Amino acid sequence: MGRGPYEKSGLLRETSLPPLKTVHETFEIPYPYTDVVKDGKKTRELVNDELVVNVKLWYVPFGEFEGHEVVFFEDEKKLDLKTEWVWR
Amino acid sequence: MRKAIKIGLSLFATTALWTSGALGAGGPKPAAEPKAKTIKELVARYDSSGCIECHEEINDQWANSLHSHSILGTPRTAPTIITAIEVGLKNFPYSGVKDDKDITVEHLRMCTKCHLPQLDDATDDVAREIVATIKGWQKAKKDGDDAKAEELEATIASLNINCRICHNRMAIIHKWADGYPQPDTVYGDKDGDHEDEKFPKMAKAPALGESIFCGQCHGTGPNFELAHPSQCATLYGSYLFAYTAEGGHESCQDCHMKKSGLGHDMQSYNSEVMAKMSMDVEVDGRSLFWRKNSAEGVIPMGIINVELTNKAGHTIPDG
Ligand code: HEC
Ligand code: HEC
Ligand code: HEC
Ligand code: HEC
Ligand code: HEC
Repeated sequence: MGRGPYEKSGLLRETSLPPLKTVHETFEIPYPYTDVVKDGKKTRELVNDELVVNVKLWYVPFGEFEGHEVVFFEDEKKLDLKTEWVWR
Repeated sequence: MRKAIKIGLSLFATTALWTSGALGAGGPKPAAEPKAKTIKELVARYDSSGCIECHEEINDQWANSLHSHSILGTPRTAPTIITAIEVGLKNFPYSGVKDDKDITVEHLRMCTKCHLPQLDDATDDVAREIVATIKGWQKAKKDGDDAKAEELEATIASLNINCRICHNRMAIIHKWADGYPQPDTVYGDKDGDHEDEKFPKMAKAPALGESIFCGQCHGTGPNFELAHPSQCATLYGSYLFAYTAEGGHESCQDCHMKKSGLGHDMQSYNSEVMAKMSMDVEVDGRSLFWRKNSAEGVIPMGIINVELTNKAGHTIPDG
């Protein structure tokens, strides 16, 4: 509570989490890469093959990060992309 | 034909059950007391300080909850009431409010219906005194007059939802069937004698332990009964139409008072216990190549999948 009844008025976008339902969110995070020319051929090189992703679920009662926000959940995921790949 | 009769009979049985809850609890409508003419008189009428002596732990829990300062709020409620008056009421052509002196109990009811239901027992002077007190408090804070701000804040906080509001005034919902709350009785889960000399009786209120009791103030949507419907909390609506409709069967009291272990300190996201009870979160991650299109080619991509399950009895967040 804190953002007023606006989001529940039926007129504005409502993004609250419904009870007893599972909501899926997907986040796509491109690895940093650069396109280079090697031996006259265009190819793509990874700048980094590891990502450390910090997943945080915030409750932001008044819609802004102004001190009342609360962390409901926090997790860290390490991703890597060490597979060989022939860039085409 | 036999089937039809059976259905008729079972319907009759449910109606009978409804009215049989009437035994014991309330009574005839008590004669109206003269309206309270000042904040002090209104606070005195619902004075619950006598309860502390014997119910100290419950009082301490309650004192930590927002119910104990339901007009002050976090403290965002009191300033928002002023905004509703200045930006709303004074600009509405048919509200009858051009100046603070035009404010009546009916005008404030769009907030006090839930934030201070007992304001209905006070005169319009009290409505105006509340507005003046909040404005005085805001001014004192702005002027850095700490002593005055503190004093006025205490007055605003004395307007609240206390023991006697829940265990007497709001305790019985269906008054035609179950009777009106009686002035000598505290309502809970038991019938019998009660040690308090001002409240020598205790009686069972049929729905105090049910979600509908909290629903009286926690909102189903716009308050259509008002000349100018307001909308604030709508969480009881979500409980009814989204939670129980999906098979949820715990009551507000089950989660907020019992499972949480917080008793009368009814809390939300601000409390670590409630935050822990609120969500199941699963995080899964992997890496892939994405053949996006011929212009941008193949993109190296980390994918994070998050599954969020709301375990509360209603939407998160409310309004
Ligand atoms: C299944 C358990 C459960 C039930 C049933 C339940 N609640 Fe909650 N409630 C929670 C949890 C957990 C939170 C904390 C998350 C939050 O603040 O949104 C919460 C939060 C709240 C909040 C704060 C809302 C907000 O915007 O943060 C209020 C008010 C509330 N509940 C009232 C009620 C009322 C009234 C009922 C009955 C109509 C009820 N709850 C039923 C578990 C429950
Ligand atoms: C239907 C009953 C109801 C009405 C009418 C109502 N409120 Fe509320 N309000 C609540 C409840 C219950 C909460 C706390 C519930 C929650 O957190 O989900 C609340 C919370 C709030 C909050 C946020 C709490 C805080 O302290 O930060 C503000 C601000 C507020 N109300 C202001 C108002 C104002 C101003 C009005 C009148 C224009 C009003 N409300 C009318 C029931 C109501
Ligand atoms: C917001 C409403 C509300 C307020 C305010 C409130 N109560 Fe209660 N109280 C309840 C409800 C609901 C229950 C029943 C809980 C259940 O289902 O068991 C209850 C239960 C009780 C009980 C019996 C069970 C127990 O927890 O021991 C006592 C005694 C009691 N309250 C005293 C008080 C006193 C004293 C105050 C003031 C300090 C107070 N209450 C304020 C709603 C309230
Ligand atoms: C002199 C001590 C005393 C005072 C003062 C007192 N109580 Fe009680 N109250 C008790 C005792 C003892 C019980 C338990 C009675 C029993 O279980 O047989 C009780 C029970 C209750 C119950 C019923 C609990 C249930 O389980 O259903 C409620 C509600 C209640 N009190 C509310 C209040 C309120 C509200 C006040 C203030 C207006 C108050 N009491 C003042 C001693 C007191
Ligand atoms: C007489 C009206 C009334 C009743 C009855 C009532 N509440 Fe409330 N409740 C309020 C108001 C008003 C607020 C918000 C006060 C504020 O912050 O301005 C509130 C606040 C809360 C909060 C804290 C919300 C937050 O944002 O932190 C919870 C949790 C809560 N109530 C649960 C309950 C439960 C559970 C019941 C039933 C046992 C109940 N209430 C009964 C009016 C009521």
